[in-house]
Amino acid sequence: MSTQVHGRGLSGPRRSGPRAGRLVAAAGAAALVFSAGLATPLDPAPRRAAAAEGDSVLTVAVAQSVDSLSPFLAQRLVSTSIHRLMYEYLTNYDPKDNHAVPGLATRWESSPDKLTWTYTIRSDSKWSDGQQATAQDAAWTFNKMMTDEGAATANGSFVGNFEKVTAPSPTQLVIQLKKPQATMTALDVPIVPKHVWEKVGDFSKFNNDKSFPVVGNGPFVLTDYKPDSYVRLKPNKDFWRGAPKFDELVVRYYKDQDAAVAALRKGEVSFVAGSPSLTPAQAASLKNEKNIRVNDAPGRRFYALATNPGAKAKNGQKFGDGDPSLLDARVRHALFQAVDRKTVIDKVFQGHAVEGQGYIPPRFSQYFWKPSASQELAYDPEKAGRLLDQAGYKKNSAGKRLGKDGKPITYRVLCHATDPNDKAVGQYLTEWWGELGIGVTLDCLDNVTDPWLAGTYDLAFDGWSVNPDPDFVLSIHTCAALPATPKVTGATDNFVCDKRYDDLYARQLAEYDPAKRATIVKQMESRLYDLGYMNVMAYPNAVEAYRTDQIKSIRTMPSAAGNIYGQDGYWSWWSAVPAASDGSSDDSGSTGIVIGGVVLAVILVGAGGFVALRRRSTADDRE
Amino acid sequence: MTTDTPARVTETGPRALARQRRRRSVVRFWTRYRTHRAGLAGLAALILFALVALTAPLTVGSDVAGVTDAPGQPMESPSGAFPLGTDRFGRNLLGLLVWGSRISLLVGLLAAVLSVTIGTLVGITAGHFKGAYATVLMRVTDWFLVMPTLVLAIALATVMSRSLGTVVLAIGVTTWPTTARLVRAQTLAVESRPYIERAKALGGGHWHIMSRHVLPNVMPLVLAQATLGISTAILAEATLAFLGLGDPTVVSWGGLLQEAREAGAVSSGDWWYLVPPGIAIAAVALAFTLCGRAVESVLNPRLEVDR
Amino acid sequence: MSSAQKTAAPVLAGPAVRARTPRARTTAAYVRYGAGKLGGAAVSLLAVLVTGFFLFRLIPGDPVKTMTGGRPVSAEQLASYRREFGLDLPLWQQFTDYCGKALTGDLGTSYQFRAPVVDKISEALPNTLLLTGTGFVLYTALGILLGTRAAWRNGRLGDRLNTGLALTLFSVPSFWLGLLLIIVFSVGIGPIPGMFPTGGMESGGEEGFAYVIDVAHHLVLPVITLVAVEYGQTLLVTRSALLDEMGSDYLTTARAKGLRDDLVRRRHAVPNALLPTVTLIFVNLGRTVAGVILVETVFSWPGLGGLFYQALSVPDLPLVQGLFLFFAATVIVMNTLADLVYPLLDPRVGR
Repeated sequence: MSTQVHGRGLSGPRRSGPRAGRLVAAAGAAALVFSAGLATPLDPAPRRAAAAEGDSVLTVAVAQSVDSLSPFLAQRLVSTSIHRLMYEYLTNYDPKDNHAVPGLATRWESSPDKLTWTYTIRSDSKWSDGQQATAQDAAWTFNKMMTDEGAATANGSFVGNFEKVTAPSPTQLVIQLKKPQATMTALDVPIVPKHVWEKVGDFSKFNNDKSFPVVGNGPFVLTDYKPDSYVRLKPNKDFWRGAPKFDELVVRYYKDQDAAVAALRKGEVSFVAGSPSLTPAQAASLKNEKNIRVNDAPGRRFYALATNPGAKAKNGQKFGDGDPSLLDARVRHALFQAVDRKTVIDKVFQGHAVEGQGYIPPRFSQYFWKPSASQELAYDPEKAGRLLDQAGYKKNSAGKRLGKDGKPITYRVLCHATDPNDKAVGQYLTEWWGELGIGVTLDCLDNVTDPWLAGTYDLAFDGWSVNPDPDFVLSIHTCAALPATPKVTGATDNFVCDKRYDDLYARQLAEYDPAKRATIVKQMESRLYDLGYMNVMAYPNAVEAYRTDQIKSIRTMPSAAGNIYGQDGYWSWWSAVPAASDGSSDDSGSTGIVIGGVVLAVILVGAGGFVALRRRSTADDRE
Repeated sequence: MTTDTPARVTETGPRALARQRRRRSVVRFWTRYRTHRAGLAGLAALILFALVALTAPLTVGSDVAGVTDAPGQPMESPSGAFPLGTDRFGRNLLGLLVWGSRISLLVGLLAAVLSVTIGTLVGITAGHFKGAYATVLMRVTDWFLVMPTLVLAIALATVMSRSLGTVVLAIGVTTWPTTARLVRAQTLAVESRPYIERAKALGGGHWHIMSRHVLPNVMPLVLAQATLGISTAILAEATLAFLGLGDPTVVSWGGLLQEAREAGAVSSGDWWYLVPPGIAIAAVALAFTLCGRAVESVLNPRLEVDR
Repeated sequence: MSSAQKTAAPVLAGPAVRARTPRARTTAAYVRYGAGKLGGAAVSLLAVLVTGFFLFRLIPGDPVKTMTGGRPVSAEQLASYRREFGLDLPLWQQFTDYCGKALTGDLGTSYQFRAPVVDKISEALPNTLLLTGTGFVLYTALGILLGTRAAWRNGRLGDRLNTGLALTLFSVPSFWLGLLLIIVFSVGIGPIPGMFPTGGMESGGEEGFAYVIDVAHHLVLPVITLVAVEYGQTLLVTRSALLDEMGSDYLTTARAKGLRDDLVRRRHAVPNALLPTVTLIFVNLGRTVAGVILVETVFSWPGLGGLFYQALSVPDLPLVQGLFLFFAATVIVMNTLADLVYPLLDPRVGR
């Protein structure tokens, strides 16, 4: 496009005079800059031993890059999943039904006053540098998090209620609490070796990525890491539960999900997780591939429509500008009854999701709750219209419903620009609610937190990943989670504050009997459903795929029909068994290299020829 | 028509004279433009695209973008009923492609107009009022010129909400400096001509000089810049949409590509979802570039060889 | 590369305007000219520093909340983050801190990676340079070669084909071309086997020469994409400059004096016509670091462009600002270099 600009640029007076020499010098300088640039990454600086031929390598394609390898800082799923493999936690979750099973601790018990927990630490777990893992390591880890702000970054919330942590003997860990806490067998905190980590200065800056292998006691030992590229792990031969079967585990980062899927198809990777799951089209096309298995498992997320209940702070100050009509429960119910969940499942998720019911997904069967027939807000647009009429929001002559201020109602719906499902469901909502006479403005943002925290939205797409222990997802709807003042941020999800719900929440947290606690949790879900501020539309499945010619078998969680990536535990990668031979895929890879090499050579020769041509002509010039 | 005008000119004064001169230069322009085969091809393509976009409400109608009554199943491959297959909602992709041309062309046009308007304003005023004002203005222009354009556009699109206006603004605000520099250079050249001196001596104010003498003279340059700018703007729109910074609720070509990618069309081999919008973008951008080049070369006879 | 960036090229209009003002032909004048350019560059850099800070503060979103999004965090923790990153300070204080540090080469600590921004940049820079550098060398060489050819055969079929192809590729969105290349040459379609990797820079686990081959193998498709969409500009600039030159009086004179045609071209026309091309080369050089956000995204290349996009969505303010500053600074430095070199090559300017 700038061609013409050039023509004009040179329209000054003309004088001849070749300046070839200087030109060549300039070009030479430019080339120098680039050869320097080229040399740097190609120079194989200190590199780890290459995998021996014939080793079985399990390569996992992930869509997230590692934020930090320090367990005290890491927040992303990929990083915490890797930490599960590197370090033992006190407890683990049973792959069948999520109940707590031994990890670094073999046994645990609470005192009658519910305030003291005693863990027995196993004596058969060694750090990869040969030292014994003891209760001191655990106590040191927790104490560090309680005293050092930098170390509390990632998991500080687990120790917020801790009074004191001690290790009276190498096999005994004692935690004293300020208040009873039912989540003591779900402390997802990696225990690190004290003798390595006490040398660390500033925990807020140390990323644990400078010296390899990283000392740990999990099923794998981290041996190499390249930011934005890959993490390599070797099996821990002395792992107390037994060594993993693969000779190496590589977690490779793909920015682009399509690239990851293509890599799976070619056998470059063994497994693709997707972010958060493969798209229906990808799943459909992979299903027909030989040697590829698509794992379509019940997910741990819920996908909901959150309503702004009028944002307010703990000090009673109101803020934000949620539409006042949404404070009427009939309006909220009407809106949800006009949402055809079946279409959402069929069209948007194309069957890779389950219709929403209660707050907690059916994957966690002990906490799963369904509304009763009388309570259920089934899809019924006509009834929704009648409800709105009853609530006093009548249609005007143009078919628009008018608010109490006499103006047509238009709701702003916050959606995540990065989530295709939000945008798709948003389009349906626009049309469904349009039929009801209600306008919709889709506010799709990369980053929805700002309007979200400020309460300047009416409805929003919301979703959380639920842990085996549901405490956290329940806590975000309590009044205690509201921000103290409008200026600060609270832990609240969407400003729900309900007395009855709060009472139930306090009861379940102090209830140590699992069955009784589950009953209370279900009552909370029922209450939340009736309030209508959190309307769960679907539980999206975890759709992932792996190569059966590389992975013979792998354990899902729950083991009957569950997911592989992002489990609560290390079951999948620890249990994966390599397929007998994966020669075919290797083959195509090397053919690819050969052909690629040839093409590259052709390009280089072409470029070289050009340079030679130029040089010759310059030489001519000098004659 | 033209044959009988000379007689009338003497009677109706300078205004008609000017009008007639203008008409004659348009005719001359067209005569020369006609000799540029690539330019003609580009123009024909543009007319075709414009027709498609303008008649879209009659041929496909806005219903094509509706999701609830989408006629097909999601991601169907091309068939008799859907010549280009269906999208992730089961909508007719051919219809969407036609419907999307409206937004893509509109955004391209608006962004180019915005960019060229800013550039012309800055260029003319900077060229006319010399001194501190011009220095500051040209510094700002230079500064915008060194900004990595895409980076700046991405930043702007992130700062503002997702809407067509944002995209237009992000493209327009980041691409004007080129025009500004060119227009300023031209303004300086025009103002150094003697007749401007005469106009000033006769009491012509700043506004008079700029609007009556400078503007008509830079107009051809502005026109060429605008034509080339549309091509850039259409590509930029597609780029921003592809990076997820467009308005997700409207159908545009860039948006279709982004949706196709989000739906995983690349790795599923659903080429019909991916190929047509890209070709459409490339074709329109090429058509505008060809026209722009032809206009440039007509206006700048020094480039006559460059056809 | 991106269409939006293509407009950066017309920086070239600069020297032209200057060319009209007569200057004394002394070294002193050149020094004064150079000092002016350097001063201007310094001012631009400062302006970039300031804008970088304020522009990205406008991005809606609380970085702390976004970083912790989806994870259990207490209000106290949020407050402690804010303290750690200095986000609890008043804006002016954040600004003075930022400027003070930036001038000493400290660009702060990335929110999400908890590593110095300078480290993150220097980590990704070699990767980007490898990709863009290879692409740059190839598309410049190809552009000049084909541009010269096209100009020599002006109007003939070869010229028309060449120019037409360049214009067409120039109009193609680079990300789309990249995706098509992936479909055809990575995934494989019909009889074509997938012979190139789908993304990334290396398979890992390779050493020595095998490692070099591996990286080169990963480099092929992104470089082809880059060359395809970029060489057109160099071609068109070279061609039109050369055509412009060939119509000049002095060439007619030279020919009239009986010099051979190709000798005239080679000795007089080409070197002169290459001047704008050299300027374009510098402009392209400046853009090489920032320019490939799209190609890097499509091919999952671990470079600066991907880093920028990743940082922007948090927003990871120090990283975004640092990258922005770095990108703009490279362009400024390269443009200044072009301004400084130009008079040395072209006697009409500056001396």
